[in-house]
Amino acid sequence: MKKNVYVYLLLLPGLIILLLFLAVPLFSTVFRTFQGDEGLTLTKYIAFFKDSYDRGVYIRTLKLALLTTLIAVILGFPTSYYISRVSRRVRGLYIIFAVFPLLTSPVVRSFSWMVILGKNGIINSTLLKLNLIEEPLRLLYNEFSIVIGLVYLFLPLMIMSLVGVMENIDEDLIEAAESLGATRREVFARVIFPLSIPGLIVGSVLVFTGSITAYTTPQLLGGSNTTVLATLIYQNAMSLFDWDSASVVATIMILTTVFVTFLINKLSSRLNA
Amino acid sequence: MALLSLKDISVAYGKNVVLKNLNLDVEKGELVSLLGPSGCGKTTTLRLIGGFVEAKNGRFVFNGKDYTKIPVHKRNFGFVFQNYALFPHLTVFDNVAFGLKQRNIPKNEIKKRVMEILETVGLKDYADRSPRELSGGQKQRVALARALVIQPDLLLLDEPLSNLDAKLRVKMRLEIRKIQQEYNITAIYVTHDQEECFSISDRVAVMNNGVIEQLDTPQKIYNLPRTEFVANFVGFENFIELELEAKKIDGGFYKLKNSQRFKVTHFNGREDERYVKGAIRPEEIDILNEGGEKETNTLKGIIGISTFLGKHYQYVVETEVGRLLVNGSAHKRYVKGERVTLYFPEDKIVLV
Repeated sequence: MKKNVYVYLLLLPGLIILLLFLAVPLFSTVFRTFQGDEGLTLTKYIAFFKDSYDRGVYIRTLKLALLTTLIAVILGFPTSYYISRVSRRVRGLYIIFAVFPLLTSPVVRSFSWMVILGKNGIINSTLLKLNLIEEPLRLLYNEFSIVIGLVYLFLPLMIMSLVGVMENIDEDLIEAAESLGATRREVFARVIFPLSIPGLIVGSVLVFTGSITAYTTPQLLGGSNTTVLATLIYQNAMSLFDWDSASVVATIMILTTVFVTFLINKLSSRLNA
Repeated sequence: MALLSLKDISVAYGKNVVLKNLNLDVEKGELVSLLGPSGCGKTTTLRLIGGFVEAKNGRFVFNGKDYTKIPVHKRNFGFVFQNYALFPHLTVFDNVAFGLKQRNIPKNEIKKRVMEILETVGLKDYADRSPRELSGGQKQRVALARALVIQPDLLLLDEPLSNLDAKLRVKMRLEIRKIQQEYNITAIYVTHDQEECFSISDRVAVMNNGVIEQLDTPQKIYNLPRTEFVANFVGFENFIELELEAKKIDGGFYKLKNSQRFKVTHFNGREDERYVKGAIRPEEIDILNEGGEKETNTLKGIIGISTFLGKHYQYVVETEVGRLLVNGSAHKRYVKGERVTLYFPEDKIVLV
């Protein structure tokens, strides 16, 4: 009995840090958003969604995050499948390549996209030289560039999650399906895809939460009319010193993330059935 | 004409040659086993027939058609894997139904055929289980049902019983044989287990280093091996060099290195060669007391190390033609250094 008590003591340092620096601030952030003159109220949330600007930012953020997740799934699936099927040694190399972007800061990575997408960037100058366009395309400071930046930023997470489950799919299962008459495509649809769903869930949740909370990338690659939730929080808190509004946005962000994560889980388990 | 024939098939992974000009004919309804030590090419042969391995050269003809380039999913061969390879995300029913759904068969027909085959393998009540909830033997039955339900033109089994315990292996191999004969299905069975292989097969192909050393009935393989490798593989542990002196109707007369003479009455196709080896099992050699020499087929020897094997003692006996393994009665133990005479019955020696 006594031994058990001591074992729990080991949890204490971590617990204290979590309580002090995560749970308490989180609670106070969330709590103040429900505080009104006469007890608890939802007025601040109603105000947020009534405001067409705020609502626009919310919908845009959600859209960008969902789009990023979708593109990451589409790009990540074949890549991960390929990586999971090569020999173990080569696989390690590919994973390093895939993860390489994670090793630099998001600021640097956003800047590199500015070099590529900018007015005098690589794409525009090439197209101009080939006489395919007459004046530079506006590729930067819009939703397009934000999505590109976010996909680039979070694709490695999707690939890692997917490779993690796909490399555990036994080659024999693929051969068994083929011997039962399935073409490569059917093997993918009937065996590989359903067995990859756990990785798909993890990857999608990581990419989605990362995208919806991203600050640097939308800030650097987006323009004045592509504000997202994270920038809105920053503006409210640091420019307007309106901490209440910032807290409301933060709480909405958390709730949305939890809700979408739940939806992704539901959807995936339905796909599995 | 044979249902299946491999013609001069070669397979290589890079520089590593796995199969060398392999030829094999299998008749309809037959169960042929590929037997051999690991690395002999038996699994590669099976996978080549299944379509998972490509031949560097040679042809694979099935039912009169060239199958060399036909992709796996168009072959209609049932494949049973060593580790079962059941789809973990599907129930037993859906595992078995997989191939039928692939063939766009109506739902009620699928249901009927799946339940029928599950009944055959004794798993009717397990249709809704997940493969996780099954024992090894049950998994292998599902794998077998899944391969059989598509009414394959050929059934390929890759060491299907090697993950099961000894008792279950014996039971399952009888069941596989029974089902194979009931469905009159042609089957190729890969194994490294001799007893399993002999008990189940119509014919056995013993493989070594990418070639088939001998293709014969189990009885012939066991009693009349034709090469030293096969002889060694089925338990002929003694090989004595012989030189042909005279061939007569009732047998051949051979001279040993020490000028002793042996008579051999088994003819297995090697009796016209001048230099051969006489192979004999340890349990077929008789130990006589010293001085029991006969005119032919005896050798003098000195007892070396002995080990108790339960049914008998096994001795290492030093002779003029080399070291031999000899089994003797469990009732009498010869001591080390004792001089004996060994007798090699003329009908127990096989020429290789």
